[in-house]
Amino acid sequence: MTDLMPRVGDMPGLQDCEPDAFLLKLRSETTFVTWIGLCAGAVLWLWTPFLTVYIPLPAVMLSANARDRHINGLTTTRIYLLRQAVFLIKMYASMCWGQHPSVRRQFNVAAYPVDPGTFRTT
Amino acid sequence: MSTPKHTAFQPKGSEVVVDADFVVVGSGAGGASAAVTLARGGASVIIVEAGPWRDPDDYASSTYGALRDMMDDWGATITMGKALWPVVQARLVGGTTVINSAICVRTPADVFDEWRQNFGIGEGGEGAFAKRMWAWQDRIEGELCVDETGPEALGRSNELALKGDAAASYDGHLIRRYAKGCIGSGQCLQGCRSMRKQSTNMNYVPEVLERGGGVLSCAAVDRVVFEGTRAVGVTGRFIHPQTRVTGAKFTARARKGVFIAASATWSPVILKKSGITNKNLGSNFKAHPGTGVFGLYEDAVDMNQGTTQGWASTRFRRDEGLKLETLSIPLEMAISRFAGGGRAWMERIQKYRHIAMWVHALRARSAGRIDVSFTGRPVVRYSFDETDMRGFRNGMLRVAQLHFAAGAREVATGIHGLPFTLGPDQLDLLANAPLDPRCYVAILSHLFGGCIMGLDASKSVCDLAGRVHGRTGLYVADASIFPDNIGVNPQHTIMALAMDVATGALA
Repeated sequence: MTDLMPRVGDMPGLQDCEPDAFLLKLRSETTFVTWIGLCAGAVLWLWTPFLTVYIPLPAVMLSANARDRHINGLTTTRIYLLRQAVFLIKMYASMCWGQHPSVRRQFNVAAYPVDPGTFRTT
Repeated sequence: MSTPKHTAFQPKGSEVVVDADFVVVGSGAGGASAAVTLARGGASVIIVEAGPWRDPDDYASSTYGALRDMMDDWGATITMGKALWPVVQARLVGGTTVINSAICVRTPADVFDEWRQNFGIGEGGEGAFAKRMWAWQDRIEGELCVDETGPEALGRSNELALKGDAAASYDGHLIRRYAKGCIGSGQCLQGCRSMRKQSTNMNYVPEVLERGGGVLSCAAVDRVVFEGTRAVGVTGRFIHPQTRVTGAKFTARARKGVFIAASATWSPVILKKSGITNKNLGSNFKAHPGTGVFGLYEDAVDMNQGTTQGWASTRFRRDEGLKLETLSIPLEMAISRFAGGGRAWMERIQKYRHIAMWVHALRARSAGRIDVSFTGRPVVRYSFDETDMRGFRNGMLRVAQLHFAAGAREVATGIHGLPFTLGPDQLDLLANAPLDPRCYVAILSHLFGGCIMGLDASKSVCDLAGRVHGRTGLYVADASIFPDNIGVNPQHTIMALAMDVATGALA
């Protein structure tokens, strides 16, 4: 996920937005199907550099530059199901990044209060 | 047996049993309107809602929180067809009225004309049925404080749309909404914490309680219970909204009738699971698929400041099936629609403050089908035909032209295969964009059909009074009974129709 949103200039990257805590929370709260979808997207990212940058290695073994070209290639690939699988990761990466106070300051958007998650019990 | 005011999640243990004259399944535009009409008519009513009851203080602010707390299945319902498009529906007391933009559009007369000509429903735009519907809509508008957003709450995105409209002659207008003094907090899609939006959890559902009715929340209906052919209640289980743990069994018994108003996707599913074998059940599912086009402007737009949806045009509704609107979505939702990943994506995201998102919704002619999955959830089978794809692409072109008329430097369409941005002299690329739906990022909002009404029992599920063919005491009162899509935001029509069906049931 952090490859999707690297630091650019003075804009925070995903690694600055507590992605581990976000993923732990997501894993504990979301549905099984959504989580499986995210895991499938991650597996596809790992094993498809041969389709995007034509290097037969897992993504974790690529150089930073090649990984950047790989993730951009995956999000724009002609293979629809692959594009959709990565879109799911992109959507949740956007949430982690876009709800972080440091990012919201950058874009002149008010910080979110904590989502209470409460409901009427009586 | 008792009639409690409100019963939320109950852990496994003894069965919860309640009874009333009428049981209404669903608390959104259809269910709440039917329930309040029945209660006003002197009947006792129990509303059974699958989601929890969240008050404005309980609403999430972030998109993550809204998916978690308000959407059906974390918003993961998608069309099963050539393209996988999300189907937007809420799951909480108030239903989708909590998370929509509260847009109020009176049913156009030509829709009633079409219903008469194509389905034999009513007497057309000049007839008694249409007049009755509009009378309900008059009443609803008064009760739910329908008004245009004031200029102080519009925000720059809506102001730019007005400017573009003036230049391009789109005959647009400020949107009338179920909102009492909107302050433009831009939070419609996550629920209005400012308590301005008049979603049904704020008015009709509480009124049902005040009139002696009850609500079961977190209560997912499994099936309708029959004695012979007569519907006598519903049964299901409580589901905890956070843990999704299954709780106690419940039964809501109905002395006079059961209303199903669980949405165009869930109502057919509940009826199918209840043993209704009508071959038309689940068929004729229609929608208004839509998508957004970003305009990139020289100066900052800050689209999240101001009302979520303030401007609309229906100029192209009759001839092209299009409704155009402004729509501001949260930062984190907007950026996920920008093409690319990695550094290329991050560089595009830096333009966020300078974008305005405007959308179109198409009155698509393609029809789909609702089936039941092996887990008991709706499966939405839906694909566009080429005619609809041409209309869909044309809608994007109309929106792009409006952006340029408003002064945008470029537009971003999100269409796979096109450059990320297009300048005003590149609109031919958009006009000739691929017609493969998989190239587009779209959503299905405004869902219709699945339990359509009609005169001919062999071609419909319900009669014109919402009564399910072949059963007694079983009514459907939501968008699933619409015989066709209507080309405008449906909440007002759903509410009026539900009130009409409920009035008939009281007679």
